[in-house]
Amino acid sequence: MIAGLADGLEPVRAFTSRDGFAMLGIASLAVVAIVHLTKGIWFEGITGQASPFFYVTNGLILLLGLASAATVVHMASPWVGNQHEAPVWASAMVGVLPVTALLSVFSHGSWAEVLVDDHAAACVAASIASAFCVGGALVFWLRRGAPVSLNLAGWFTGLAAGALGNSFYGITCSVDVIAHQGIWHVVPVIASAVIGRLVVPGLVRW
Amino acid sequence: MIADEATYARLMAAAQKGDKSAYNVLLSETGMWLERYFRRRVPPHHLEDLVQDVLLALHAKRATYDTARPFLPWLAAIARYRWVDHLRKVYKHESEMLEDDHAIEDSHEDVVEARVSLERLFVQLPKKQAEAIELVKIEGCSIIEAAEKTGQSESSVKVNIHRGLKKLATLIERAE
Repeated sequence: MIAGLADGLEPVRAFTSRDGFAMLGIASLAVVAIVHLTKGIWFEGITGQASPFFYVTNGLILLLGLASAATVVHMASPWVGNQHEAPVWASAMVGVLPVTALLSVFSHGSWAEVLVDDHAAACVAASIASAFCVGGALVFWLRRGAPVSLNLAGWFTGLAAGALGNSFYGITCSVDVIAHQGIWHVVPVIASAVIGRLVVPGLVRW
Repeated sequence: MIADEATYARLMAAAQKGDKSAYNVLLSETGMWLERYFRRRVPPHHLEDLVQDVLLALHAKRATYDTARPFLPWLAAIARYRWVDHLRKVYKHESEMLEDDHAIEDSHEDVVEARVSLERLFVQLPKKQAEAIELVKIEGCSIIEAAEKTGQSESSVKVNIHRGLKKLATLIERAE
């Protein structure tokens, strides 16, 4: 068998994390372009005129997306000693947002503000749609590689896709109150993580 | 020849560029390393199949090796992945007890190999799960025999095997 494998050896281009980040960057630019063409970026947001909640929420979710995506990119090259702690801590930080939103709503007795949110469905749906594009790129990367912790790869792919997808959509959302941002911009991240855990392991098993 | 880490890494880098003779040497040395790696955690009659399985996996995924990093932790991650898959299979045949003198070879593991060893992985399991997997999946005992030896009920043995394999699958890249 060894002689057969050696005889049939073809050179391969060893892929590096740089390739993974480049692919993710291209997918992200595509998503941002589609979001801008279909909905239009909220310029008050990117020029510093939004509420602090807008920046804190989008900033934390973006960092979660970047931490998770970096972990997924590295997971394509298996290694005993790989650490996967960054997305866990970043998730805990983002978890503060819905808690803050619920405490704020509870203390003001304004449950209707959360439950009857005309923008919620659109935000969640658009974020998840963006997440599918990002998630597709990450799954493609993992299938090229050799991930050996499949369930973790599923969770982190879903987290990365949901968080980055929401970040790219989030720059179009002008509802910058904590009750909306802290809940309806975090829900798609959680949903994507669960979808990732259920679907991705089967797609990347080798 | 017993290759060291630097030699493995150099051979693998050459193999990625298409050097067939380097690849031949690498696969031979890797095969011997894998036999030592698996010897205490796989029944002897499965050892050759598992080693070949890992070599085929190495061949298919050779592009994923990063030449800037050591070779053995990469190989060990693939070996552990295939080993856990192997443990999931049910085998119904006579068992052979692992021979004691294999322990002598393992006492010469260097620091790198100790860090990526299957022992390091196995000790992270709760005792009852490790016991159940060792008896049924590695030594080839039946569920009934394992229940008698451990004092657990048969359903507990099955549950411990299932949970233990799930936990092993999440620990493949753990080095500590």
